[in-house]
Amino acid sequence: MIFNKIKKILNSGLKWILALTVSFIILFPLYWIFISSITPAGELFKQPIDYLPDNPTISNYIYLIYNVGLIEKVVSTLIIIGTTLIIGTIICVMASYGFARYKSKGLSIAFMLILFSMLIPNVVTARPLYDFMRRVGLYDTYTGLIILYISKIIPFTILILRNFISEIPISIEEAAAIDGATFLQKIYHIILPLLKPAIAIVAITNFITCLNEFFIPLFYANNIQVLSTAITQLPLKDNMYSVPWDLVSSMGWIIILPIIIFVAIFEKQIMDGIMAGGVKA
Amino acid sequence: MHTKRSLNRLWIAWILVIPVLLVRGFTIIYPIFETFRISFYDVRLLRGINEFVGIKNYIDVFQDPKVLTSLKFTVIFVVASMALHIILGVALALILNMKFMAKKFLRTIVLIPWAMPMVVIGMAAKWGFNNDYGLVNNFIRLFVPNFELSWLIHTNTARAAVVAMDIWKDLPFFAILVLAALQFIPEEIYEAARVDGAGAIQAFFKITLPLIMKSILVLSIPFTMWRLASFDIVYAMTSGGPGDDTSLIAYRITTEAFTNLNLGYGSTLAIILFFVMVILSLINIFIVNKKFN
Repeated sequence: MIFNKIKKILNSGLKWILALTVSFIILFPLYWIFISSITPAGELFKQPIDYLPDNPTISNYIYLIYNVGLIEKVVSTLIIIGTTLIIGTIICVMASYGFARYKSKGLSIAFMLILFSMLIPNVVTARPLYDFMRRVGLYDTYTGLIILYISKIIPFTILILRNFISEIPISIEEAAAIDGATFLQKIYHIILPLLKPAIAIVAITNFITCLNEFFIPLFYANNIQVLSTAITQLPLKDNMYSVPWDLVSSMGWIIILPIIIFVAIFEKQIMDGIMAGGVKA
Repeated sequence: MHTKRSLNRLWIAWILVIPVLLVRGFTIIYPIFETFRISFYDVRLLRGINEFVGIKNYIDVFQDPKVLTSLKFTVIFVVASMALHIILGVALALILNMKFMAKKFLRTIVLIPWAMPMVVIGMAAKWGFNNDYGLVNNFIRLFVPNFELSWLIHTNTARAAVVAMDIWKDLPFFAILVLAALQFIPEEIYEAARVDGAGAIQAFFKITLPLIMKSILVLSIPFTMWRLASFDIVYAMTSGGPGDDTSLIAYRITTEAFTNLNLGYGSTLAIILFFVMVILSLINIFIVNKKFN
């Protein structure tokens, strides 16, 4: 009896130790970045590290807003991601419907080609794509960046949406057609409402994917700056070799905090998206 | 009847599909053919050279010490990272699968590293591994006073640090996918095993592991691909240093194509990387099919 009770306590104790270890490994570096971001630069280089700063300050954040154009970067990030998600989702819903409802050899090849293109890493296409974007005047433009971001989210989005549409019984659409519904009415009144949860899942997952995208803004833009590349463009203070760690950690924390909140709110949808996709584009 | 009606209206399907095909075509399909073509040329913008050289670039690759160093670290990085992903990822998935109070909290926080940009992690890591003011040594000094080590200026420790940060970011994501596989295992199997007198360890090796093996093998395709094409981590954390010891092959390619402006050679490396990825995924698909069907 008492033996069983001890075993139970030990068991749950072990669970807590494991859980706390995992939490510590993930959360403590984030806490450290936060603490560094509100520590005055002079106190930053202390040994051992002060995990509670004596004179907390928000001067780094103010500096980022006034001298590094933080607001501007946030706005351009939101413009790019917003447009990408809207246009990207629309054309992906269209294509997914086409791939799910119509069968032909050509369509199968087109679908395989899109899946196969996931195998091609961005460094392989980077240089010709860069030259192409310059030639057609899309380099360093919102249009150019948005096209590249859309391209990035296409495979994952189509994979998820096509599976969802395939599971909607075709008989519902046939019944509507008999009642005289046109093609567009069918899509708008039947497919889209049923597709809502799937669209939410891909939108949330793609939002994170776009926010984290680093390669595209780094190589295909110069004046347009987004949050993910901002951290590499902070002004170096004293000389070329010193990195402004206080600003780096503030910029890092500005990126991290919304992500933490976002993940906390959409935990379930993100989990579903990851599991439904199995693989991320 | 279906098929007939579908076939009649096939043009609708193509109209629906064309925007997506155009975007992917211009951003991925066209550039890869262009990369393939340039890989047979000697194109060096800095010196104004542009001439056809056949397979010379492909031969040069195997004698270039910088490329060989990159290849060596890329292999170390992929193998070490994937081995740790599989071992620790299964362990973390088992932890996430435990039934207890803080389950939801734990599942939420493991998503955070996945959602963070690698470049932020890389920049923070560059400082975290600093000998004097970094988090890592500060923590180690709690147990080993006077511990001194400049992680990122020695080859082996810099490589270990890069692998460690890669694990920190992506392992939770891998574990979530393993968790999905774990949840498909019916509880009754474990109960039956318990009745037959199997312990927890026995149940793990006889039931759990064989049942999630296929998922692990399938998952290892994209995870290996992402590692082979990793760029941002070394861009932010080590800039490929010390020397070229942590310059992953993808980093090497962008350096040739964008910094040295050696386009032909950079393209050759890119094409080789592409074929390595295709061959590896074919092998993986073959193994999965042979073992499980």
